[in-house]
Amino acid sequence: MAPPAERTDAQVVRDVLDGDRDAYRMLVRRYGSVLHAHALRMAGSEDEAGDLVQQAFVKGYRKLASCRDPERVGAWLFRILANLARDHVRSPRRKDISLQALPEIPAAPDGPEDEAARAEVRQRLRRALDRLTPEQQEAFVLKHVEGRSYEEIAAVMDLSVAALKMRVHRAREALQGLLREFA
Amino acid sequence: MNDDIRRYLDDEIGLDDLGGNARDEAEAWERLLAAFRAEAADAPPPPWLEERVMAEIRGLPEPRALARALGWLVRPLSIRVPPLAAGVAVAAVAAVLLWSGRGPTPTDVPEGSPTVVYVQFELKAPGARSVAVGGDFDGWSGTNALEDPDGDGVWTGRVAVQPGLHAYMFLVDGSDWVTDPEANHYADDGFGNRNAVLAVAAPAT
Repeated sequence: MAPPAERTDAQVVRDVLDGDRDAYRMLVRRYGSVLHAHALRMAGSEDEAGDLVQQAFVKGYRKLASCRDPERVGAWLFRILANLARDHVRSPRRKDISLQALPEIPAAPDGPEDEAARAEVRQRLRRALDRLTPEQQEAFVLKHVEGRSYEEIAAVMDLSVAALKMRVHRAREALQGLLREFA
Repeated sequence: MNDDIRRYLDDEIGLDDLGGNARDEAEAWERLLAAFRAEAADAPPPPWLEERVMAEIRGLPEPRALARALGWLVRPLSIRVPPLAAGVAVAAVAAVLLWSGRGPTPTDVPEGSPTVVYVQFELKAPGARSVAVGGDFDGWSGTNALEDPDGDGVWTGRVAVQPGLHAYMFLVDGSDWVTDPEANHYADDGFGNRNAVLAVAAPAT
């Protein structure tokens, strides 16, 4: 049998379903970073992002027997996380804390004034992003921040490519207006 | 935003396809999007993630045991239904689901086998190389192939299922699970997807 790190996703899924619970650790290692990056961009807070990713992996474990394409279990887990993150952004409580919970950006080598300006820009971008609908925010982040293809995003969001393009377009227009408003 | 800019941002045309003003605007958009990317939060997953996930799943039943337990709860009954009870079953299903006449059609009760009903499935999928249907009635195997003999893009096929409520989807080209757009009812599968739901009434024999 191949060492755990060399086993394919489908083999790992089979191991877990056959009762090797510890094999699931391999999926957490393989996909933790990708899921966390998206959660962080949607939630804006490292604490919330970590909780979302934990929830996604636990939900994935519970539902693993219904994963229809074990070779693509990473995409399947991402979809679970994306749905959790979208619901999280929808929750009214979260809007109140997101601005106070902006993640830190490493200090720039320039002077403190440059850093203050960077922080100001960062805060305006985050505020603008937070004012989008959760669906627009997700579509924009997936397309223009994470650089995913429309086909890939359509599968995650369960939309046609045409409908998705319209959603991204609306998000860009809304952001343009919001950034003018914040200027 | 003019249409050329929209097409540029959607990767449909390149910067060289744009004229003077549109090109300036596209470059301004690129700067803005680059700012979003540069300022996007990015950090490795927390060091506690792996251990917390593993600790939480250690307290859960194994996934197959969970699936078996849930399957037992939702599995349709396959008992032989006497005529009077069949009428009650039909009424109950109709009352819950308000059959609308769309979606797959249960037809042709096979003689001597009142607990199985043939259901006609149909999906319009022009350009598909293959279409099959899968659901809880076949363990989501997706091996019940539909056919499009006249090449008009409408794939059809009949599948024997037991009376009850069944979740199903179409498998296109062997890899893409597609929700039936013409289903009567849908149910969330827990992952943001919608399964189509089919209500098959027990035949009145």
